[in-house]
Amino acid sequence: MITSMMTAMLLAAAAGSAPESEASLTVTVDGLAPQGAVMMALYADEPNWNGGDAVEGRRVAVEGSTVTVEFAALPAGDYAIRFYHDVDGDGELDTNLMGIPSEPFGFSNNARGNFGPAAWADSVFTVAPGGNTHALQLD
Amino acid sequence: MEMNRRHMLSLLAAGGTATALPGLAFGETPADPVFAAFEAASQDDPWTLGFTDAPADGFQSTARRLHGRLPSGLSGVLHRNGPARFSRNDWRYRHWFDGDGMVHAWRLDRGSDVTHTARFVQTHKWQAEQAAGRFLYPAFGSQPPNARGLHGPDDINAANTSVMMVNGELMALWEGGSAWRLDPDTLDSRGPRNWGEGLGGLPFSAHPKVDPDGTIWNFGQAASHDMLVMYQIGVDGQLRRADLIHDIPGGMIHDFAVTDRSLLFLVGNLAFRRMQLPFLDSFGWDDSRGMRVIAIDKGDWSRRRTWELPPGFLFHVGGAWEDPDGTIHVDAALSDDSEVATGHARDVMLGTPRLEHQSISRMRQITLYPDGRAEQAVFSDVCAEFPQVDPRYTGLARCLTWHVGWPDGHMRGATQIVQRDVISGQTRRYDFGTDIVVEEPLFIPSSERSEEGEGWLVHTALNKREAATELHVFDAQRLEDGPVTSWRLPYACPLGFHGCWRDL
Repeated sequence: MITSMMTAMLLAAAAGSAPESEASLTVTVDGLAPQGAVMMALYADEPNWNGGDAVEGRRVAVEGSTVTVEFAALPAGDYAIRFYHDVDGDGELDTNLMGIPSEPFGFSNNARGNFGPAAWADSVFTVAPGGNTHALQLD
Repeated sequence: MEMNRRHMLSLLAAGGTATALPGLAFGETPADPVFAAFEAASQDDPWTLGFTDAPADGFQSTARRLHGRLPSGLSGVLHRNGPARFSRNDWRYRHWFDGDGMVHAWRLDRGSDVTHTARFVQTHKWQAEQAAGRFLYPAFGSQPPNARGLHGPDDINAANTSVMMVNGELMALWEGGSAWRLDPDTLDSRGPRNWGEGLGGLPFSAHPKVDPDGTIWNFGQAASHDMLVMYQIGVDGQLRRADLIHDIPGGMIHDFAVTDRSLLFLVGNLAFRRMQLPFLDSFGWDDSRGMRVIAIDKGDWSRRRTWELPPGFLFHVGGAWEDPDGTIHVDAALSDDSEVATGHARDVMLGTPRLEHQSISRMRQITLYPDGRAEQAVFSDVCAEFPQVDPRYTGLARCLTWHVGWPDGHMRGATQIVQRDVISGQTRRYDFGTDIVVEEPLFIPSSERSEEGEGWLVHTALNKREAATELHVFDAQRLEDGPVTSWRLPYACPLGFHGCWRDL
């Protein structure tokens, strides 16, 4: 009995990562100055977007005006991205004395916030099974 | 096209018609009622010239001499700033303070005609919106259709409030973001001024104060966090010190005063409540306690003294000084309400001022005692704004304040130049009458060694009858005699806020 339950769970787990719902995401960020790195975080739900944890994080060195950030083997579904250009390469989003970011930053869908990060509703996009691309622009 | 549109608007205004005509809209953009109201008001009220869009490429002309001669010794440039672009794509801002800043240069040089040049400050906002043909960003008191979000305050920096010279460079000042650098001769924009690491994009207010030794003091406010950033800048234009000052109540602070020892903030009762757009809607009237007055020690920003006055509102402070025992004297244009900011400045955009949005602002002399007592005396008989002092007496004991004045109930701008002796109480004035809208007077001493008040008052004005902007020069000691010389442009400029004088 226990064995059959475990088998069922394993089968269910296998079904969860079946090839038809596995996805990859290629994000491009354009409009960069060639220095430092792009720091990007991928979120999978609104509560985590509003102060929780990212499901994936990437650091990609900037050598031209564009970087490409790859996320492989993601479950298909809704996601949102926060990123910033770590111009001085210190691994932190620099801010001014009042806490306003002084390094360029952005969100998926090129959404913008007002006096804070963009809202989940404005930033969320769907990653479909298979390959996906998402183009972001810093201005 | 314009006529057709007006005709359509009048049809709409006829009542109920619009709902009966599904799909009645002007292309993608429905008619903006504020834009339409101003268009209508501007047909027969020349006061609206003060709030009409200036040409995108600015102004340039020689002024025509009306009478008199420029005094010898008065040689310089009057720079002024004010909002001058209020509508795009037939959509009009809701608040006077939202308009994009236009910086003016009036050149006065005896023997030559007065010349005038004005250009819009080429902020990021101006450039993006000029290219787009519409407003793209939320403004202080307006939320344009389909407005974008923000990365930081400089995205919406209108650079529209004042100007100052810092070590040979002209700065266009706003209060929510960076000072904007300009070439004083060409008025070309050079971009935001970053005073140092960690200070990029911070608020830098429009009323810096300059000590007799040239030290510049200024603040920026984060009303949402009960916080100021304070700046001390050397005569060389380099930052000496900047830091946050916490626990400054989030009443809107536009101006401040200095004494030789203190930085003085009067915090009115238009108080921050919660962040909303447009930003002005974040504020509401709160008279649950009085107006707070806070003096910060210039040498040690952690040391402060506080006083409380009856609830009130102000934009502008005249000047302050401090007695040896620590008593502080300061005068300011104070009102009992903030209707001027929340009501009148919106009516201006509609083109029709309403009496119920009048703020009765009076010059008041305030005395702040070391034991915490505070007294105030009302000392002008007219509404007052734009107080100015002899710049050599900033922070020092003095007698004189000049300001613009207008009678209670007159809702179309200032009509008088007023001088008040804050010690003797004596008042002198010149009344231009209601055809003229008087703008801020600046006092320019006749020489470095002249007595306080020995010099000229220079100011601009909108002549409504002539539909033209004028420049007037007074002998400050003979105010009642009227201007010693007056000059008129062949056009009307939007009314401005504040200026500075640059000696040639």
